[in-house]
Amino acid sequence: MRKKLLSLVLAGTMVAGLLAGCGNKSNNPSQSSQPGSTPGVSSQSPEVSNDDIIANLIANTNGTVKLTVWASEEDQDFTLGRIEDFKAQYPDVDFDIMLGAESESKAKDDILVDVEAGPDVYAFADDQILELVDAGALHEVAATYTFDVKSANAAGSIEAATIDGKLYAYPMTADNGYFMFYDSSVFTEADVQSMDAMIEAAKKAGRKIAMNVSDGWYIYSLFKGAGYDLTLNDDGTNGCTWNAAGGTDVAQAILDLFETGVFVDMTDQDQATAITEGTICACVNGTWRAETAQTAWGENYAAAKLPTFTVAGQQKQMSSFSGYKLIGVNPHSDFLGWSMILAEYLTNEETQVARYEARGLGPANLAAAASDAVQNDPAISALAAQAAYATPQRVGNQYWTSAQTLGQILASGNPDGTDLQTLLDNTVSGITAPVQ
Amino acid sequence: MKAEKDQKKKINKTTFATALAKGDIWVKLSTVIMGAGYFARKQIVNGILMTAVEIGFILLVVLFGVPSLSKFGTLGDVQMELKFDPLTLQSTINDYDNSFMILLTSVITLFFIFVFIMLWIWNIKLVYRLQLKKQNGEHINTFREDLRALVNDRFHITLLALPTVGVVLMNIIPILVLIAVAFTNYDQKHMPPNSLFTWVGFDNFKNLFTSSMTISFGYAFRKILGWTLLWAVLATVTTFIGGILLAKLINSATTKWPAFWRTLFVIAIAVPQFVTLLLVRNFFSDSGIVNTICANIGLTQVLRGIGLVRVNYIPFLTDPNWAKVMIILINIWVGVPYQMLIATGVLMNIPTDQIESARLDGANKFQIFCKITMPYVLFVQGPALITDFVKNINNFNVIYLLTQDVFITSDQQLAASNAKEVDLLVTWLFRLTNEYYNYKMASVIGIIVFIICAIFTLLSFSRMIAGGREEEYR
Repeated sequence: MRKKLLSLVLAGTMVAGLLAGCGNKSNNPSQSSQPGSTPGVSSQSPEVSNDDIIANLIANTNGTVKLTVWASEEDQDFTLGRIEDFKAQYPDVDFDIMLGAESESKAKDDILVDVEAGPDVYAFADDQILELVDAGALHEVAATYTFDVKSANAAGSIEAATIDGKLYAYPMTADNGYFMFYDSSVFTEADVQSMDAMIEAAKKAGRKIAMNVSDGWYIYSLFKGAGYDLTLNDDGTNGCTWNAAGGTDVAQAILDLFETGVFVDMTDQDQATAITEGTICACVNGTWRAETAQTAWGENYAAAKLPTFTVAGQQKQMSSFSGYKLIGVNPHSDFLGWSMILAEYLTNEETQVARYEARGLGPANLAAAASDAVQNDPAISALAAQAAYATPQRVGNQYWTSAQTLGQILASGNPDGTDLQTLLDNTVSGITAPVQ
Repeated sequence: MKAEKDQKKKINKTTFATALAKGDIWVKLSTVIMGAGYFARKQIVNGILMTAVEIGFILLVVLFGVPSLSKFGTLGDVQMELKFDPLTLQSTINDYDNSFMILLTSVITLFFIFVFIMLWIWNIKLVYRLQLKKQNGEHINTFREDLRALVNDRFHITLLALPTVGVVLMNIIPILVLIAVAFTNYDQKHMPPNSLFTWVGFDNFKNLFTSSMTISFGYAFRKILGWTLLWAVLATVTTFIGGILLAKLINSATTKWPAFWRTLFVIAIAVPQFVTLLLVRNFFSDSGIVNTICANIGLTQVLRGIGLVRVNYIPFLTDPNWAKVMIILINIWVGVPYQMLIATGVLMNIPTDQIESARLDGANKFQIFCKITMPYVLFVQGPALITDFVKNINNFNVIYLLTQDVFITSDQQLAASNAKEVDLLVTWLFRLTNEYYNYKMASVIGIIVFIICAIFTLLSFSRMIAGGREEEYR
């Protein structure tokens, strides 16, 4: 008993230390998040110019401004260069900017673990914006200082970065959606207007058309295209009308597509192999596959908006989720002002032009996107054409697995012969289930 | 001499009640000032230390514990609010509550209070013992002597201190927090610091056992639990038997270069498991190399002919039944080398006299294997097998690495709970937290996994290691 207790005492002392540590941590954020007082702006008049505000910010910045920035692995060199230019713009401020590597598609996973300890400025894909806003990981872009973010960028990108009428992020690229890649030795430009014509042409060529239907991100394209909605409620649950009257026609249309044997369900990775091996001559995919397709198809590499497909005898234009990459600012940043200015710098016209030139990523900035080089890029112009039929991704988490399973069942030809209405009813009840 | 020993025993047996009843004024004073009893027996340093611990504890509880504990009932009610001033580019945050920090700090404080109460009781008994020692005119240690005792005859206390702290910090506190989270609504919609979460009683447990139109956790839980147990049994048994057979084969007198073969199998262990598993996943993918080979040699056609395959490839890892079989087969391949190494060691230690006498009695090799080798191996490896079984219940690597991103469930009810046919409880738990931030359900499942593992371990250990087994074997 005695030895047990003594060790417990020792343990207790250690716990005390831990307790003290925790206490401090939880107390910190309750204070103002930026050190230094602000005597300069006493007159809170709205006529104060942006230059004055920035000058004032510079004057009130004492000591080193320590910022952490996250950009994707491929974007490291480019971002580093831009950060150096940014530092040069404000020679009076002592910056210590750290650049971390984090894929835009995974930013949420690491930031949501501990928002307060997250990076100050980070790039992320717009599909994560809901969860990031929910978790309080995005600072509202309530004001801009170096350029007008809302008017400078494409309307779609601003829509994607806006939740409940509030802008939460700075659009960086408009290249994250999906469209149709094709081999122009198989299809004419007229063929790629409709799925039926494409299937005929591919059949003649003895090759296949791939689309990852067993993935919620892509199957949305078919249901939304046929006019069936997927919406997000305030409480995080989904609204879904896929099982409404006529929904079974869409399911049947998808079954019919697979029935041809030409239309196949393939993951992105399998598509890459299949493009290289030549088994597929067209696929629904995004700019990240442009290089693979270009290498494999050479001069015949082409891209277009998604085609129409036949639902109960009628042609319906396939829809899609629009995809943008955005830059966000962490509200828990110690240097919120500088984080916002840096985020603006990393998404301004000059940077977006430079990013396209360095990395070939389609700009969200209207002026940058107007250049000939961008206009002539097949993938980016296809994406721009698809933008008219694309909707921002506003989906609750309960959507994905159920939609994926529906896609899987339809892609494998509904092997159990389940009644299509039952199938859709089950899917919708899964998608709309309350968050448990 | 004997009387003295009895006296000592008596002292060591003092209960808290007698200590409090029979203690003098100093012992009674120790209930308030913990060092009092030591001061009275001239153990000044001990007295100061004990009082310091007491003051430190009270300060910590008052400063850090009470603010959290006062909100423990609701887990906080002040939502975070940010106010941004566009002119100064600064924002102010209100004094918000962070539910998770409140929960964590409260659990630590409660644990700490529990420890302190134990210390307090022990302290009263100790000072009473000091009083008795003084009355009997025995020697009372000075502080220096106490310290020396810690490195000499009571060295085990010094040694155990660090591991105990480690266990408390790494195991006990997290487990307590996990248990607490299972009774809250901590999920994606209630993620601190931005939003608050609160207690919901047994709702999450109810959900886990409910199957309805909107909640399918009950259905998913039953299916996954069944597969988890089946998997654990099959994975343990197959690798165990495979290991013994392989070891017998390599050790057999007719096998040439046994060392070479053994090394070959050990190399399989040397390669990190996740690398092998990811490679194997690609080999067996729907358009992977194995499928290409099978199609080329006509195996796919044969399987289609007898109705085992309905598509024009073999769905090794994409059809629930195929995937389950493949997972077990691949696990044999990954797990057998370990078992072989262990079995080799055990086989080498089988008493040869028993085998000799069996052979003289005319038993053939198969009989010897069944009647002598297997019982011996089972007896020696019994406890290790149970550990393996529990480990397999939580065998995350094989299942997750082989099926993640590849296997898509066609069971709509499972899909509604974000589960798959091939999931173990632990992989389901992982995806619920990692992809869906459903911490509350994950905690509930975590508790269930813990209970299952504990039950199996206790049952089988009590049966296998129960006294008399060794004699039984002999």
